[in-house]
Amino acid sequence: MSILFKGRSQGASERKINFAQRFVMFFVNHIRQALGSLGELWRQPAASLMTIGVLGLSITLPSTLYILVKNTEKISAGWEQAAEISLFLKDQTSAAEAQQLLTRLQTWSEIDRVVYVPADDALEEFKQLSGLGDAVKYLEANPLPDVVLVTPGEKHTAPTAAQMLLEKLQQQREVDMGKLDIEWLERLYGFLQIATELVTIIGVLLFIAVILIVGNTIRLNILNKRDEILVMKLVGATDGFIHRPFLYTGFWYGLLGGVIAWMAVIIILWWMDSSIQAFASLYDKSFHITGLTGSALLTMLFLSVMLGLVGSLISVQRHVREIEPQ
Amino acid sequence: MIRFEQVSKTYPGGQRALSKVDFHIAQGEMAFLTGHSGAGKSTLLKLISIMERPTVGRVLINGHDLNVIKRRQIAYIRRDIGMIFQSHQLLMDKTVFDNVALPLVIEGYGHKEIAKRVDAALEMVGLRSKARNLPITLSGGEQQRVGIARAVVNKPPLLLADEPTGNLDPKLSMEIVRLFEDFNQAGVSVLIATHDLGLIARMRYRTLTLKNGKMITDGLADGEEGR
Repeated sequence: MSILFKGRSQGASERKINFAQRFVMFFVNHIRQALGSLGELWRQPAASLMTIGVLGLSITLPSTLYILVKNTEKISAGWEQAAEISLFLKDQTSAAEAQQLLTRLQTWSEIDRVVYVPADDALEEFKQLSGLGDAVKYLEANPLPDVVLVTPGEKHTAPTAAQMLLEKLQQQREVDMGKLDIEWLERLYGFLQIATELVTIIGVLLFIAVILIVGNTIRLNILNKRDEILVMKLVGATDGFIHRPFLYTGFWYGLLGGVIAWMAVIIILWWMDSSIQAFASLYDKSFHITGLTGSALLTMLFLSVMLGLVGSLISVQRHVREIEPQ
Repeated sequence: MIRFEQVSKTYPGGQRALSKVDFHIAQGEMAFLTGHSGAGKSTLLKLISIMERPTVGRVLINGHDLNVIKRRQIAYIRRDIGMIFQSHQLLMDKTVFDNVALPLVIEGYGHKEIAKRVDAALEMVGLRSKARNLPITLSGGEQQRVGIARAVVNKPPLLLADEPTGNLDPKLSMEIVRLFEDFNQAGVSVLIATHDLGLIARMRYRTLTLKNGKMITDGLADGEEGR
């Protein structure tokens, strides 16, 4: 509606079109502008590719590190039996007493599972696995104690909680000693925590850099289009209308940068997979690195688009305002 | 339609461009604004299109005080004012059609409506056959007519022209002014700033003369008064 002239229709929205048509026109206009911005990028492939490349590679680094950390966490989760506690029972403990201990422990809320391994079974297993079967025959008596394997519940696998559980278990009358290989677990957890923080810090720094780079690129675009912006302002374009193509450019930078990051991550992981497998085979484990899951990919693309949008938004807010017809 | 009430404009730095200017242009009127360069013609036009704000006084269009118009409303004000510039202000990398269509695109018209209105506007200025050309391939007079087509394509009630005939020979200038007369006869208020006194002398229109920022005459051009 015209401010100055009552009754003078202004713009398509003032003409008699119904709501549905206006709704459709809104999207048609946006799609037109989005494609227009994409066309602009296409017409300057070198400049666009450089910006998109910087954006993509800046996102690749934290994404790859994030995946590596996640995979390490997965490995440590796979080796949860490291948090398994072995209780060696006293020699004179009878089978009945051991059974009593077992039933008692099963009622503990901290404990997920208990398995009783009698000394004889343990010896049998040792014979089979060690290849020292014949040598064992020469032993007069079974040197192994009865063992109870305790798997702590989920909340008690963390190093400190597991340690507390171990101390509690050692106070049991039947228990000679308990063993929990906790040191390396603590180190692993500590390392993972540092790694996660490092990934976050690197990520934040690179994201800020990306915002600045996109902002600067958009600033140059705006300056290049100075004359066009002046003319548009003269014939009554709102700031929003002038901003939109630049925001779409930022959007495309973000989206295409995200796609580049995605491809780069795939290539890097494929490259690393063989060496990781070789490493894992040393531990008698077959291990395949898990790439980007669907949700992680979506998060990465979303983040990338947001970075592009924020960078361009900061730039248009500042610089389009500065261009005023004189 | 356009009313100036005791309007003064002092630029930062102390240069006084307009001083206590008072006038009124009625709806449907066509008037010339003249004076030497530096007399304040451009400043006066800029106050109407809100490229500048007055230091003192009020500018009103259709009874609306422009001082109360907020920054983000300016775009909508400019949609009511067709503006024509000496330097044409065309986009050189866009076709004549796209240049003329720009105000309609900005206002969100659909494809068909745009094509219809741009065709009509180009028809009026006699450039329909050149719709697909780039402005750079046109002569100065033709470029100016593209600018005029763009100014009138959304049928504004008010036309402002800043030295529209500045670089044109007398014959072409006359053609341009005839165009303005056509729009004026269709009910559009027209204000043309020009220092081309010869042109004004041949026309019988109200003339506002500025000298050093002051309005010194307001009436028919000197050449006309003697008749």
